[in-house]
Amino acid sequence: MLGYLLHRLALAVVVLFGLAVATFLIMHLVPGDPVQQTLGSRATPESIAFAREQLGLDDSLLAQFWAFVSNAVTGDLGYSLTLNAPVAEVVGQRVEPSALLIGYALLVSVVVGIPLAVIAAWRPNGVVDHAIRLLTTFAFAMPAFWVGLMLALVFGLGLKWFPVSGYETGIGGMLRTLTLPAITLGLTLSTIVARTLRSSLIEVLKSEYVEAATSRGLSPRRVMVKHAMRNAIMPTLTVLSVNLGLLIGYSIVVEAVFQIPGLGSLLLQSVQRRDYEIVQAIALIAGTAVVAISLATDLVQASIDPRVRLGR
Amino acid sequence: MKTTRWLTAGVLCAALGLTACGGSDNGGGGDAVAVEQIGAGGAAKNCTGKPVTGGTLVYSRGSETQSLDPITLRNGNGDIFATELVYQGLVRSDPTGKTQDLVGGVAEKLDVSDDGKTYTFTLRDGIKFGNGDPVTAEDVKFTLDRFGDPKINQVMSVVAGGYGSSKVVDDKTVEVKLKEPVASFLYNISIFPAFIVPKKAVEADEKAFFKKPYGTGPYMVDEFVRGSHVTFVRNPHYWEDGKPYLDKIRFNFASDSNSRMLAVKNGQAQIADGVPFSQINALNGDQKLSLQKAEVPLFVGMWMNHQRKELADKNVRQAMQHALNREQINQGIFRGVGTIPNSILPALKYDAPADQVPPYAYDVNKAKELMAKSGFPDGFSTTLQYPAGYDYYKQLGLLIQQQFGAIGIKVKLVEQESAEVTDRFNKSDYDLTFPYAQFTSDVVVPDEYATFVANSPDIDNFFTHWDSGEIGDMVAKFTTTPDEAERAKLWPEIQKAMLDESPVINVMNVPYVNVHGKDVCGTSINALGADHLEDSWMASQTAAKP
Repeated sequence: MLGYLLHRLALAVVVLFGLAVATFLIMHLVPGDPVQQTLGSRATPESIAFAREQLGLDDSLLAQFWAFVSNAVTGDLGYSLTLNAPVAEVVGQRVEPSALLIGYALLVSVVVGIPLAVIAAWRPNGVVDHAIRLLTTFAFAMPAFWVGLMLALVFGLGLKWFPVSGYETGIGGMLRTLTLPAITLGLTLSTIVARTLRSSLIEVLKSEYVEAATSRGLSPRRVMVKHAMRNAIMPTLTVLSVNLGLLIGYSIVVEAVFQIPGLGSLLLQSVQRRDYEIVQAIALIAGTAVVAISLATDLVQASIDPRVRLGR
Repeated sequence: MKTTRWLTAGVLCAALGLTACGGSDNGGGGDAVAVEQIGAGGAAKNCTGKPVTGGTLVYSRGSETQSLDPITLRNGNGDIFATELVYQGLVRSDPTGKTQDLVGGVAEKLDVSDDGKTYTFTLRDGIKFGNGDPVTAEDVKFTLDRFGDPKINQVMSVVAGGYGSSKVVDDKTVEVKLKEPVASFLYNISIFPAFIVPKKAVEADEKAFFKKPYGTGPYMVDEFVRGSHVTFVRNPHYWEDGKPYLDKIRFNFASDSNSRMLAVKNGQAQIADGVPFSQINALNGDQKLSLQKAEVPLFVGMWMNHQRKELADKNVRQAMQHALNREQINQGIFRGVGTIPNSILPALKYDAPADQVPPYAYDVNKAKELMAKSGFPDGFSTTLQYPAGYDYYKQLGLLIQQQFGAIGIKVKLVEQESAEVTDRFNKSDYDLTFPYAQFTSDVVVPDEYATFVANSPDIDNFFTHWDSGEIGDMVAKFTTTPDEAERAKLWPEIQKAMLDESPVINVMNVPYVNVHGKDVCGTSINALGADHLEDSWMASQTAAKP
């Protein structure tokens, strides 16, 4: 088990380093000068030259990358020109809303997705199953910004259950302001959960041990929950962890629609403004989150299922 | 020495006795009343009584505030409109927006030397910062020296051109020396980079101060949460009697225009800015809301690269002007709120009205004649770059493609991310382009833009590579002539000559369009589009108070 863990950790470091290189190169190779973007057309050449020097933008790409990596390792994420503040401070303030939103969305996707999968798998190819598959196809195809606006229109403007946008802290504030965004975000993922779990449930329900359990006279409910679900949920966990990246991507749109001051909206703005420091920091944080979650998922599976850690 | 004097909030120009300065005297097209209520709702009907004190106003704003340091501007109007509440310059743009003139701010008296190189300011009696400290000449000198230092004033170093030094004469008097006469100097110091900041607090801990700053403006920052909101509370030491009326103002940042409109409809916010033109008709029908349009120096500027031989041909450029069906563009895209320009620049002070400098008429036959006279009678192909993701550029590009196509100019549309559009513009890598998604002048006088386009060899005349010839000399004379009356005579000639040459094209003058609840009164906007919320009050507070 320890060997497996070390192997996976080493792999995670390589992945993160690769991510840092890729983010750095993409940001520096796309056209658009950060100083020009920030200072605009009313800055004299003297001011621009001074700002470039302050940021070290006249150094070679390799030197700039080295400065970024060596500082990042010590926890110094640099200084943002566009926001005129330390990156760690700016990014730090934005982690909480995004993390809460994504956590809440995961919860929504599980709460919506698992019952749908169970109902659909109960009678495969029945009317209910077809209806659910049609519904999830629709839900998956609807763009998040549109779903978000529709929810805001109905539950915010119409029924006034929730504010149409904004973010508040505290449990009550969070429930008020994050529920609609989490539903928007979670709906997409819940369709993935429903479909993955449905097919693995159908697979498991056909297996011999389920047949054995049924023939011992256990109730269908007990067979489903106690026996089939335990085995069928594994692939769903993997799918959930893999799709965390997707969720982070969608959160950019959802944060913009609901005006949540999270990392997604900051990322979008920083890409547009060519704020290298912030984009690199957010990419690293998001990358670390994805790698850490998938590592945790693998470890959980490995501890439960010896086939995983023995690589069979 | 020519002495000029004005009293509290008196209009500077009137006090100067300059005839060319006032509203009707210069006949300026852009000098009309700047704010107009439009739509079925019209002005708020509850706002007839006297202003009442109290209440909180929530303002949903498209542009996020990113810096509260007026000299370290980071996000255009998102920063400017917040700093306008907190600080003031020595002089200010008329807060009512009814004129493009300057009025007193931190200073209440001014002397200008005959050579236009020495300005002596006397500070307003008893004026204090939000923390109660008196404003002294030291604070003014400190601020203006920051303004004049291109290493500190990085963003607006262009408007600080010509600044020499400041001298503290006594506690209430500052003498400013310019290196050469700068006719627009007072306008240049009326905007954010020259807003007066407290020397002591900024020197003690600059970063901490600008997180929760105060100045001499009507409000002080209470809380600033990046990406979310900034709240302001009343400045208890504000110098205008009885103002401001509102206890508290909150700017909620909402980059998505649908979210902003929903917030106002829902009552979560009382004002929202940046009403998308496509929603004007829909919002007009809402009896609970008022639409407000403010004429500001905002325009749809289409820039041309004169390194392309076709675009260096004056006949071609004039043909393009005649080929544009601006009425169709105005109705189709701007829902009729735009104004057809009679200048290549946005509407600015001293502009002559349309009967003196007529705009180009839509005339395809004339355009074809001009093309036939040009070096390219068979037409040519060109590209038009525009920023992706903005309200109207795509539709506008399609209309222009069709209208230019009618005179044999084949336009290929190139949609790019806005940073890339600007980058290619700065490298002169374009044929036709809309270089900035929001193209505005920072000052109400034409000096800034006229210099950019006609007299800036170091930036190739604002990346047009236009050979401005005689017009460049006219602009140089205009920007160094201190006498207002003389300037008001010089400008219309330049305006006309530039329009004739058309080195670039102003497709349309566009207003700011805001929407607010019927409860919100006194929504003044100055000539630069900044809200003056010290004049705002809530009608519902009348009922709340006996």
